[in-house]
This record gives sequence, C-alpha cells and structure tokens, in this order.
Amino acid sequence: MGKNPETGLSNLEYHVLLALAEGPLYGYAIKNSVAEESSGTLTPRAGTLYRVIARMMSRSFVVESGVKGDVPPSPGLARKYYALTPGGGQALKGEAARLKKAAALAEERLLAHQ
Amino acid sequence: MKTVFSRLMGLFPRAFRESFAMGMLEMVALEYENARVKGRAAGIKEGFATIVDLTRSAIAERLYPSWVSRTPPRNLQPEFYSMISGWIRDTRHAMRSLRRTPTFTAMVVGMLGLAIGANAGMFSVVNTVLLDPLPYENADRIIRIAASAPGSDFPEEFAGGDEFYVQYREQSELLEDISTYNSFTATLRTNDRVERIRMSYPTYTLFSTLGARPILGRLPQAEDADETAVISHQLWNTWFGGDSTIVGQSFEMAGQSRTVIGVMGPDFRFPTDGTLLWLTDDITADEVRPGRFGRTPLVAKIKEGASFEAVTAELTALASRLPERFGGPPPYVRVIAQHRAVVRSLEEEMLGSVSSPLWVLLGAAGIVLVIAAVNTANLFLVRSEARQRDLAVRRAVGASSLQLVRIQMAEAVVLALFAGVVATFIAAVTLPMLLRAAPQGIPRLDLVGVNASTMLFTLAIALVSAFACGAVPALRGARPDLGRLREGGRGATGKRHWLRDGLVVGQTALALVLLIGSGLLIRSFSALRNVDPGYETEDIFTFQFAPDQPQLTDGPTWAQFHFEFMDRLRALPGVEMVGVVNNVPLDEGTSNQRFRNEEMANNEGAGPNLNYTFAGGDYFRTMGISVLRGRAFQRSDHTSDLGNAVISEAAANLLWPDQDPVGRRFTTDDAGNWMTVVGVVENVLQDEFRQAPEPVFYLPLVGPEPDSWRMSSPAYVVKTARAEVIAPEVRALVREVAPEAPMYRVYTMAGLADRSMVQLSFTMLTLGIVSSLALILGAVGLYGVLSYLVAERTREIGVRMALGAQAGQVRAMVVKQGAVVVGVGVVVGIVGALVSTRALGSLLYGVQAMDLGTFLGMSVSMVLIGLLASYLPARRASNVDPMEVLRGE
Repeated sequence: MGKNPETGLSNLEYHVLLALAEGPLYGYAIKNSVAEESSGTLTPRAGTLYRVIARMMSRSFVVESGVKGDVPPSPGLARKYYALTPGGGQALKGEAARLKKAAALAEERLLAHQ
Repeated sequence: MKTVFSRLMGLFPRAFRESFAMGMLEMVALEYENARVKGRAAGIKEGFATIVDLTRSAIAERLYPSWVSRTPPRNLQPEFYSMISGWIRDTRHAMRSLRRTPTFTAMVVGMLGLAIGANAGMFSVVNTVLLDPLPYENADRIIRIAASAPGSDFPEEFAGGDEFYVQYREQSELLEDISTYNSFTATLRTNDRVERIRMSYPTYTLFSTLGARPILGRLPQAEDADETAVISHQLWNTWFGGDSTIVGQSFEMAGQSRTVIGVMGPDFRFPTDGTLLWLTDDITADEVRPGRFGRTPLVAKIKEGASFEAVTAELTALASRLPERFGGPPPYVRVIAQHRAVVRSLEEEMLGSVSSPLWVLLGAAGIVLVIAAVNTANLFLVRSEARQRDLAVRRAVGASSLQLVRIQMAEAVVLALFAGVVATFIAAVTLPMLLRAAPQGIPRLDLVGVNASTMLFTLAIALVSAFACGAVPALRGARPDLGRLREGGRGATGKRHWLRDGLVVGQTALALVLLIGSGLLIRSFSALRNVDPGYETEDIFTFQFAPDQPQLTDGPTWAQFHFEFMDRLRALPGVEMVGVVNNVPLDEGTSNQRFRNEEMANNEGAGPNLNYTFAGGDYFRTMGISVLRGRAFQRSDHTSDLGNAVISEAAANLLWPDQDPVGRRFTTDDAGNWMTVVGVVENVLQDEFRQAPEPVFYLPLVGPEPDSWRMSSPAYVVKTARAEVIAPEVRALVREVAPEAPMYRVYTMAGLADRSMVQLSFTMLTLGIVSSLALILGAVGLYGVLSYLVAERTREIGVRMALGAQAGQVRAMVVKQGAVVVGVGVVVGIVGALVSTRALGSLLYGVQAMDLGTFLGMSVSMVLIGLLASYLPARRASNVDPMEVLRGE
C-alpha cells in the first residue's frame, strides 16, 4: 500500500480524513467529498470506503459522531456520521506537511530541469 | 440486485458487518440508483462493479482485518481463516515459483490441458448419449420384448407376431402398458412438398407406454383407427414452420390422407432420432393371424417393483397359451412350445451398437490423461530433485513436513486449474468438429455440448490429476535429505530412478495398447474397403422422386412411367446404363414377407421370411450385379400376367438347395398367384458391408395382377463416369417430367459406401488421433527422463571418457538404459492389449482382436520410437567434453 503502517496514510485515507476535517459526514457524503477533492481520481465504492473508515476508527483517527443530520434515508433508520478525532487531525496535519514537502521538492526539481 | 448486495454483506466478518453494513448498503443503493438513471447498461455495470468491490473487500477484510472491534468477536473460527489465508499464501508462492519456470509451466499446462480436454470432450458425448437416461418417464422400467426359440431354426432373437401383443396387453399382470413399434420410410405429401421420410407405425399405446406427452394437440386413442398422425418437433419446424394451426390439418402420409392431431416435444425420438412422424393403429384379437413372426417388435413399461426375471417368466407363460387361444398350424405350435420371452431394458437396446465405441474412445482418452499425468509427475520429480537443496534449507530453518508438502501441492493444483481452463477451451472448440465427423444414428448426439456437467467433470479430473502428479514428488520433497546441505548441493544419487523408470514403463505400455487398438481398426477399415458387396460403388449415381400424376394408378401405368423416364435418362450425355429399384443398397433396407416354394405351398405359415424388392431396366448391369444362372429382367417381364422374377443366390440356396431354381415357381403369402424364377444373381450386401449377404427376391415392376403392387417411390440408378456432377441435369429432367415431385435421396454409390463405414472410420480416426497423442507424450516422457539422467551423470560420463571410454560406448550405455525401460514397457503393453482390445469387439472386421501382425508391427514401431527418444540424449552424453567436466571439479 506504499505507506508506513504506524504513522503514514494512504492516499485514500488521507482524503477521508481531509473530508471529515470540514465536519462530520456519513458514508456516501464522504465519498462525494473525496471524489471532488481528489479531482475525481478517487471514487471508492462502498466496501473499499468502509474498510478505510474502519481502519481509521481502529487507529482512533475517526469516531462515530453524535450529530444527526438532515433527513434519514428511510423511516426508522438513523444515518451514522463520522467525525475526525484530535489524533486524526494530527495525522492529517502530519501527512499534509509531508505532501507539501514532497510537492515543494517536485517543483524545485522540475524548475531545475527547465 | 439489492438482495444480491445484502447477501454479499454476509461475506464480511460479523463484527465489521454489525458496525458498517447499514451504511454500506445505503451507499450501494444510492450509487446504483444514480447509475440506473443514466441507463440500463450503466446500471448493470455499476451493479457488477459493486459486487466485485464488496466481494474483494470482504475477502480482504477477513484476511487483513481493518476493524478491531471493541467487543470480542463471537463465532470466529481462527483455524479456518488461518487455513484459508495459508492456502492463499501457498497459491501466491506457487504462482511466483511457476512464473520463474515458464517452460515447465507451459509444458505441464499444455500437456495436461490437451489430455484433460480430450477427456472432457469424450465425457460430454458419453454423458449425453450413454449416461443421461432416456428422456422418458421412468425410463428404467421401459423394456423391449423379443422372442427366442432355442432349439428351433429361428434366429437367436426375433420379434413375435400380433398375437403376442394382444395376449400380453390383455393378460399380463406385470406390464403397465405395451406397444408395438417399427420404423420405415414412406412418402409425406403436403401442398408444396413431397418427400420420403422416416416414419413409425406403432399401436396408439406407444406414447402412454413411454410416458410421453405432446406439446401441442393430443395423443391418439383407440377410436382414431388409423386416420391420424402425430408429428415430431423437427418435422413441425422444418416443414410447417412451427405453425400452431397444424393440428387438424390433413396430408397424404404413406399413401393415405391422415389428420395431424398432435406435435411431440423435441425430446421425443423413437424408435430412432430421425423418426419424423407416427401413424398409429390398434391391433385387436380378431385381426390376429398366428404365425407371422417378425412383424411386431414390442416395447413395454413394467410395473413398479417387477423384476425382469419375473416379467420374462410371465410373458413366456402367457405366450405358451397362444395356440389354445388363436390356433395355428403345427409348425407354429412347435415354435411356441420352444418359445422363451426375451426382456431387455430399452436403454440397452437403443445404445447397444454405439455404446462400445464410445466407451473405447473415452477409455483411450483416459489413457492419454494417465500418460500426460505420468509425464507431469515425472517433470515434478525432476523439479523437486532440483529443489532438494531449497527444501532442505527450508526444513533446516524449521518448516514442517506438512508445510513442505503444501507448497509443492499448491503448485500442482494451480497448474491443474490452469490446465482445466485450457481443457475447457479445447473441448469447446474441438467438440463441434468431432460431432460433425460423427456417424449418423447415435441417439441425442445433437444435444452434446460443453455444459455444466462437462465443466464439473473437467474440474474434478483436473484436481485428481493435480493430486496424482503432485503427490509423489510432494511427499518425497517433504523429507529432504539434509545431507545435501553438507555436500554443497550437488549430490547425484541413482537410488530413486526406479520410480521414474517405472512411470516410463507404464507410459510405454499404455501408448502401445492404444497403438495396437488403432492398428486393429485401420486393418478392419482396409478389410471393409476390400469387401466385395456384390455391386460396384464407382461411377453410379442414384436418386429418387415420387411423381403424383393422375394417370399413375396401378402397376402397369407406373411401369410405363419408369420406362419412359429411363429412356430420357439414358439420353443424357455420358450416361451408359440406367435401372430402377425400390430400395438402393446401403441406403434403404428391403421389405420382407414369407416365400414358399411348391413343396411348402399348402402349408400356411410355412416358408422362410425373406427380403424382396422391385427392380427394372438395366438394374443388375448398372449396379454390376452378375447374373449367375438364367437371365436378368427383360422389358417384357414387366407386364402383369407373366410373373417372372429374379432371385439372389442365397435365396436360391434356401428355397431350392442343390437344384437349378430357374423355371421353378414360388408364391408369397395368401396371394394365390405363382411366380417363376427366370434368373439367379450374385448376392449383395444390402444394409452394410459387414453383414452376411441375405436372400433377396427381385420382383418385376408389375405383379401377377395390375393391382398387386405398384412401385411409386422408386430409386433410379445411373451408370456414368459423370456420377459426381450429373445431378443438375437429372434435376432439370425430373422437373420436366414431374414438376410436382422434388428429387431426394440424391447420392453416388461411392458416397453411400463411405457413409456406411463412417462409424468405423470415425472411431478409427479419433482413436488414431488419440493414440498418436499418446505416442508423442510417451516419447517425450522417455526423452525427458533420459535427458535428465544424462544431465545428472555428466560428471560420471566425463570421468569415464577421460579414462578412455569411447563416444560410442557412452551412447550405447544411455541407449541401453532407454531400451531396457521401453522393452519392459512393450511387454507390459502387449499383455495389456491382449486384455483390452477385446473391447473393440464389434468394430473389428476381418481381423482378430489378437492379430499377430498388428501386435508385432506396433510393438516394433514402439521400440524404434523409444530408441530414437533415447538416442538424442545419448548423443548429448557422448558430446560431453571430459576436460570441461574435470575442470569444473
């Protein structure tokens, strides 16, 4: 998966945390945010997405949120919302910094090529 | 689709499911609906992608859980999951190691794939034709009833007369239902088409006996009294375009107008696949005239629980009371006293002649599989030999024997599964070709295809071969010789060669069995080709048409028509001679009835049941049938009052043994008219080349009375060097003479001869291909083993040569080793062939199953091929450069 299992995040994991940084979301909304914010390069399907959510929860980056949203999908069924934990925020911040550094490096090298 | 999705949730571990299933389902449903809005295709695509995603995620979740639940999971079976993940690890490992040895992988997959494919193809034929039960209700209770009269001059088995049907039907306690059956060709005429087609004329009870129901209309009843017909699904489609208003329409069938009352389903094929039409009638006690044996084959359904023995005993007892009920002349009473009923399952009866060649071919394919598996096992052995060091290292660092076996078995299983895929492909591609070459008359052959049972069978034999090929090397590899580590991994030991040698002996033996089998078939084929059937097959063209013209009313008018038409045929360019006959040999059987000579005249029911046909024009000369005594027909014989006939030599010997039959008189059933023999002709083989010639009476085109008979569906025979190309001109002539009657049954005699041998030639061809495959695989196996041996002994050979051994000696040493193995294999193979060629039984003609020449010839070929396969590695051995080898030390 190309990541350090202890601290690193996969691309999809990063985008899931990124989506939740804006506020608690439910599954389908997470996917839509991820798709939009990755410029359409990531469109996870249900199984893949929920495994990432599960992994993020296992690592305590994400928790189930108490906030109940707008309209329930069908009567009697409450949607589950997921929210970023402080730890998750830290992980996101760390990964963002890493990406930033990598991006800066890329820019530098591409400049040198010209 | 949504139920599929929620089912798939069940694949996820319970803890994961409990936490996330609802969210996943909502998301899946939303995505699916969104996609469906875009169109059907998009919906299907989305649904499929979702299924793949859920399945993959569920498996991944089980292998590498991402969800650590707070509550300890219930009912999780850790052993099971670790086993599955162990398998997956082994499989991955196997894939990697197979990818590193592409030649080995390709050889094994190709070899096993070919062999399994051959088996899958043969299996699907055998499964459909022989193993699928007859498509009738309670097929196991359907029997055929024949008669036997041990000690009489009757054939071993024969059909009874009408009285048997009546008696059994009325009085049997053990039969549920009974019917007669038969099969013949007659004319079917509709408004726009006329042809002679295959029909059957059973009693109306046929359908209830077989438990068949129509898909359209109804079945005949006793009251229908010979005015109705039931048509086959095939006829319904090909003649009437599946028209559902067909029921109630009337057509001329077998010379009389009958109404179609029902259409049978595509599964109903009785008594043969090609039967298109069933006319039905009933036989009642007052119609019975005892003593007309051979008329009434019977099919019946026995009651549940009744044994064949009990039925046989009951039917024999019922038949013994026939004379007291129906009377009959003394010879009849004598035969009945000797009569024993013969009861056999219908399945056995219908498949009798086709089952043994099919089993032989399946057996041959099985042998090829064994040879391929042995080769594969050998390759595995060599491979595991080469990996001894690797395995020893693994063992030394603590891998258990079981783990080592598993690693090796995984390779075998992966290879076998690939081979299974290749095999399915091969079977799917070659099966249609095989079926096209197959002889006619194999029931249900058109239903053969690669179906679910074929796939299952393929999978099963792929796995069995995997275990068979993988087991020996895997078990050996489980106990690697740790001493190898010390030796630096070179160790060359000869102690396990007996195993590989044994495998090659087995291969050689099996390949030889197949070779001898196909050799015997080839000899049978050439023997059949050289049979003198009593007629020529070259340069003869034959065809039929059935004119329907108002002036054609009786024997003389038809004869007139035939002669005028033959005059015009003779005028076609290149035509030498022309004749006409009712039943052309190799295409149609003759009819038969009882013939009596003057001594038997007053004895009703006496006289043998013999074949007869009608012939005119230059029939005998055209067909090349020699006249042995007297003369052939002249044109003047074909007028009503003469009653001159020509008979075959066999008929002459039967009715007038040791006498000159020319000028003698004979009569048929109760006609009261006498006919005179004017000539005796050579015997002919009417139905096929392997039968004994049967007696035939050739009657003139016109009988003693104008109305005695008329030949209304004749076959013309034309002698011309242009037999292959003359059809269009003849067709034009027929159109001119009888525009209402299409030409049919258009053949050359050479074509008919080929067709009559197709069962043998098909079996010969298939077995030939299969045994060449076996031979090649066997040779490859031998070559492989010896090559390995040479490679292993390079050092020893180098030393020998350094010490002065000549190249020739080294070659001889290797070849000798091969020769011993092949020699033992040949001996074993000969023994095997002695036992197994008996299975070819009825296919053989003019050659013994133990034909010395074939056994010798094939064994010698096998030895030569074995020596060749040994020589190549031997040459390599003798090219070993001793300096190189010793320097390598």
